[in-house]
Amino acid sequence: MQHILSNIIFLPLVAALLLGVFRTPLHWLRLGAVTASLIVLALVGVVIFYFDPSGGMQFLRVAPWIQNYGITYYVGVDAISLVILALIALLMPILYLYIWKEERKGYWYNMLMLQTGVTGAVLSLDLVLFYLFWETMLLPIFIMIGRYGNGLYQYNAMKIVLMTILGSMSMLFSILYLGYGYFEATGSWSFALNDLARLHLDAQTSIWLAAGFLLAFAIKIPLVGFHTWMAPAYGSSPTPTVVILSAIMAKLGVYGLWRFGYGLFENTLVSYAPTIVTLAIIGLLYYAIHAVMEPNLRRMFAYSSGSHLSLIALGIIVTNIYGWGGSLYFIATHALASAGIFLMIGLLFKRTRSVTIFDLGGIAAVAPRFAFFFAFFALSVAGLPGTGGFVGELLIIIGAFKADLWIGVLTATTMLSAMLYIFWMLQRTIFGQAGSCTETFEDLDGREMVMLLPLMLLLLITGIAPSLFIPLGEPQLTASLAEVMKAIGGLQ
Amino acid sequence: MNILSFIVLIPLFSALLLGIVHLYDASKERYAFYAGIGILAPALSTILAFMVSWDLGHQAPDAILQSTLFEWISLGEFKIAVGFMADRLSVVMISFITLIGTLIHIYAAGYMKGDPGFGKFFSYFNLFMASMLLLILADNPIMMFVGWELVGLCSYLLIGFYYKDPLNVKAANKAFILNRVGDFGFIIALSILFVALEGSGYTFASIKANLTMIDTALLPLIGILLFVGAMGKSAQIPLYVWLPDAMAGPTPVSALIHAATMVTAGVYMVARFSFLYSEIAQVGEFIAVIGAASALFAAIIAMYQTDIKKILAYSTMSQLGYMFIAVGLGAYSSGIFHVFAHAFFKALLFMGAGAVIIALHHEQNIFKMGGLKNRMKLVTITMLIATLAISGIPPFAGFFSKDAILAAAFASEHYVIWGIGTVTALLTAYYMFRLFFVVFYAKGAGSDAVLQPLPKTMTWPLVLLAIGSATVGFLGANTAFGGDDWFAGFIALPDMKPHLSHSSEYLLATLNVLMALIGIGWAYKRFAVQAEPMKVTTPLQKLVVHKFYIDELYEAVIVKPILLLSRLSDRVIDRLVVDGVINFAVFGYRYAGIRFAQLQNGKVRYYALYIMIGVAAMSLFILMTLGEL
Repeated sequence: MQHILSNIIFLPLVAALLLGVFRTPLHWLRLGAVTASLIVLALVGVVIFYFDPSGGMQFLRVAPWIQNYGITYYVGVDAISLVILALIALLMPILYLYIWKEERKGYWYNMLMLQTGVTGAVLSLDLVLFYLFWETMLLPIFIMIGRYGNGLYQYNAMKIVLMTILGSMSMLFSILYLGYGYFEATGSWSFALNDLARLHLDAQTSIWLAAGFLLAFAIKIPLVGFHTWMAPAYGSSPTPTVVILSAIMAKLGVYGLWRFGYGLFENTLVSYAPTIVTLAIIGLLYYAIHAVMEPNLRRMFAYSSGSHLSLIALGIIVTNIYGWGGSLYFIATHALASAGIFLMIGLLFKRTRSVTIFDLGGIAAVAPRFAFFFAFFALSVAGLPGTGGFVGELLIIIGAFKADLWIGVLTATTMLSAMLYIFWMLQRTIFGQAGSCTETFEDLDGREMVMLLPLMLLLLITGIAPSLFIPLGEPQLTASLAEVMKAIGGLQ
Repeated sequence: MNILSFIVLIPLFSALLLGIVHLYDASKERYAFYAGIGILAPALSTILAFMVSWDLGHQAPDAILQSTLFEWISLGEFKIAVGFMADRLSVVMISFITLIGTLIHIYAAGYMKGDPGFGKFFSYFNLFMASMLLLILADNPIMMFVGWELVGLCSYLLIGFYYKDPLNVKAANKAFILNRVGDFGFIIALSILFVALEGSGYTFASIKANLTMIDTALLPLIGILLFVGAMGKSAQIPLYVWLPDAMAGPTPVSALIHAATMVTAGVYMVARFSFLYSEIAQVGEFIAVIGAASALFAAIIAMYQTDIKKILAYSTMSQLGYMFIAVGLGAYSSGIFHVFAHAFFKALLFMGAGAVIIALHHEQNIFKMGGLKNRMKLVTITMLIATLAISGIPPFAGFFSKDAILAAAFASEHYVIWGIGTVTALLTAYYMFRLFFVVFYAKGAGSDAVLQPLPKTMTWPLVLLAIGSATVGFLGANTAFGGDDWFAGFIALPDMKPHLSHSSEYLLATLNVLMALIGIGWAYKRFAVQAEPMKVTTPLQKLVVHKFYIDELYEAVIVKPILLLSRLSDRVIDRLVVDGVINFAVFGYRYAGIRFAQLQNGKVRYYALYIMIGVAAMSLFILMTLGEL
C-alpha cells in the first residue's frame, strides 16, 4: 500500500516512456494509454476505499531525494487532494474516449505526461517536489496548444507559459527562502511542508513570502487582473487541454491557496483576506459580464470558469466550515460540469468546424440528444438545483453570509451572474432554426454517450444526495479549520 | 416513507420515464403511451393527495404528517433532509393542484395531439407537477427553494416549447431570468435566516419555534427579501414583465403553470411564513401596497390588450395582486382561498381560450374571432361561468373570495387599498366581459370561419372546472352569507380577524356586485353588438396600449448597460488596461535588451573601458570596507 500513490503518479509517465522508446504503432499507443488510465482509476478507487475520513494525511511515502538540501520525495493524500485526485483519474479515460480517433501520436504522449504532472502536483508534500510537478504540468499544455491549437495558437501558448512562469518564479523564490529560513533556524535543511509550517516568521517576511505563493496561485486560478492569458489559451486549446485547464489546473490554484496558503501562512493570509475577497467578488461578476458578449463558446466558458473559480477562492478565504465545504464540493462538481460543457463544445467543433455562436442555432431540432446533454451541462454550470453545482454554490453563499452580510449579498449574485450568458447562449446555439452550419448536424453516437453519461450521472448524484460525499471530507475540514482558527486566535 | 412522499415521487419518476423514452427515439409517435403514463401519474397523486387531506381533516388543526426520504446534506449545523410535511395549508394546496393539474393533463392530451414533441411535453408537464408538489410539501426552506427553482426551469422549458421561433425562446429566457432575480432575494433571505438561527435546526417547524432567536432588526429585512422572491414568481411589480410574454407557451402550459399553480407559489410562500410575517406588520403593509398597485396596473393594461391569452395573463397578475393584499394584511386564509378559487376559474378561462384558439386555427386576436356563441355552445357556457366568477358575481367562486379580501382591507382600515381593490373589481368585470362579448357575441370573423372540431378530452375537463368555479365559493362563505367560514376554520392560519358587522358586510358586498355590474354594462354597451378595437387617440391611451413602456424602460436601463459593460470589459479593460500593463512590461524588457545589446558592440576600446570601470569600482569598494576612506 505504501507505493500506491507513487504508482498512481508515475504509471502514465512510465507508460509514455515505454511506448515512446519502442515507437509503438498508434493502436498500441492508444491501448497503452487507456489501460494506464484505467489502472490509475482502479488504484484511485482502492485509495478511496481504504481512505479514513478522519485520518488526516495518509498513504504517506517519504524517501530521501537530494539529501544535501533535505529535499525529499514526500507524497500523501488527504480529503482535499483526494477530491482532485479522483477527478483526474475519472476525467482521463473520458478524455481518451474523446480523442479515440486522434491519429497524431503527440496527443497521446502529452496526455500521459500531463496526467503525471497534475497528479504529482496535487499529491506532493515537499515544496521542491511540488514545484517540479507544478512546472512539469505546464509543458504538455504548452506543446498541445503550440502544436495542435487553433487561431493565434503560438502566440497564445507563449502567453500562458510566460504569465504562468512569472508566478512560478516568485513561488520558487519563496520556497527557497523558506528552506533557507528553516536551515537558519534549525541548522538542517528541509523542504517538507510539515517542517516548514512550524517555522516562525516575522510578520514582514511572512507577507512577502506569502505574496510569492499567492501570485502563482492568483495567476493559475486566475483572479481578476491576472487573467488575460485565460481566454486566449482556452480559445486556442484543443479540447482535451481545455478540459484539463478548466477542470483540473485551475482547481490546483485554489488547492495551492488551501494547502500552502493555510499550511504556511495562516496568520498572514488573514491580512490578505480582504484583497482576495474583493478580487474574487469582482471576478465573479466581471467574468460573467464579460462572457455575455463573447461569441466564441470556448472563450465564453473560459470566463464562466474564471467566474466560478473566483467563487471557490472566496469560499476558501471566508474560513468557515460552510465556505470550505462548499468550495471543496464545488471544486468537484464544477470540474464535472465544465468538463461536460467543454467536451460538448469539442463535439460541436468536430461536427461544424465552428465554435462561434453566430454560426450555430437550431441544433435541438436536428439532434435532440445532443441538445439535451448540451443544455444539461450548461444548466449545471449555472448551478441548477438537482445538480451538484447548486450544493456547492449554496454552501459557499451561506459561508459568505456567515462571514459578513455584505460579502454574502455580493456572493449571492452568483445566482444571477451565470444566467446572464447561459440562457442567451442556449437561445442562439441549440434553439431557433437550423442554419447552413447545423442542418446536417449528427446526433450523439454510442461512444459519445458513454463518454458523457458518467459526467451527467455524477452531477445528478452529487446534486441529489450530497450526504453521500460530504462525510468523507467533513472531519478533516473541521479539524483543519479548528487548527487555523487556533493559530489566528493566538495572534489576536 | 409514506404516501406523502409518493405524491411527489410518482410524477417525478413518470417524468423520467417519459423523458428517457422520448430521448431514446424522438421520432416515434407513441401517443397512447405518453398520454397514458402522463395522465396516470398526476391522477394517482390526486388520489393520494385527497387521502392525505381526508386523514388530516380528521385530526387536530395543528396536526401534521411527515415523511422523510433521506438526509440531503449535513455539514456543520447545516442539516437538511429531503423531507415532506403536510399541514392544513399544504393539503389545501396539493388537493387543488393535483386535481386541476390532472384535468389540464387530460386537456393537453387533446390539445397537443400530433405535436412531434408530445412525449417531451408530457415529460416536462409531469416534472412540473413533481416540482410544484415538492415546493408545497417541503418541510424545510431549502427543499422549498429547490422546488421553487425547478418549477422555474419547467416554466422555462415549456414557454420555449416551440423553440424554433426565437421570440418564444426569448420569452422563456425573460421568464427564467426575472424569476431568478426574485430567487436572488429569496436565497439571501434564507441564508440570513439560517445564519441567524444556526444550530437550532432549519425546518419550518423549528424556525417557527425559534423565531425569537432572531435579532428583531433583521426580521423586516428577511420578510422583504422573501417577498422579493414572491414578486418574481408571482409576477408582481416590478418583476412582472415576464408573465405576459410567457403566453408564448402552449395554452395548457399557460393554464397550469402561468395561471392556476406556479404563479401562486409566492402567495403560498408568504402564507407558509405567516408566523414570521405576523411579527412584522409594516412589511405586510408593503406587500399589500405592491399587491394593490399590481392589481390596478394589470387591470388597466388588460383593458386595451387584443391577444386573448395576454388579457388573461394580465388578469392573472391582477388577481395575484388581490391575493397579496390579503396575505399582506394578515388575512392569510382569505388569500389562500382566493388562490384556491382562482385556480378553478382561471384554469377554465385558459382552457376555454385554448379551445377557441384551436377551433379558429391558432388565431389569438379577439377582434378576429366574434360570434362563436351558437357554434361553440359548451365553450360559451363554461366561459360565461368562469367570467362571472372572476368578475365577482354571486354565487360564483370569485365573489366570495374577492369579497373576503376587500372586507379584510376595509375592516383593517386600509381604505386606500380597499378603494383600489374595488375600482379594480370594476375594471376586471369590464375587461373580462369585453373579452367574452367580443369573442362570443359580437359579429365577427368567427361567425363564418370553418371551425376545427374539438376532441372530447378538451371539452369535458371544461365542464368539471365550470362546476368547480360555480360551487367552490361556498366553502369559504362567511357567516354573513349563511356559511360558517369553513375554509378559514379548516386551514387554521394565524389570521388577523378584524370585526365587521353583518350590515357593513352586506353593504360592501352590494358595492362590489354593483361595481361588477357597472363593468359588465359598460362592456356590453361597447362590445356586445359590434366589436371594434378601441381607437387610440389620447396620449394616455397610447401609454396604456404600449403597456406604459416598461419593457422598453427595462431594456434601456438594464439590458443595454450590461451589454455595453460586457463589450467595454473586453475592448477596454482587458485589452488596454490589463494586457496594456503586461505588454508595457514586455516592451520595457525589450527596450532594456536593446540598450544592453549596444554595450556588447565588439569594439576592444569599449571593453577596456568596462574593465577599467570595474577595477575602479572594486578598488573603491575595498578601500571603503577597509575604512581607508
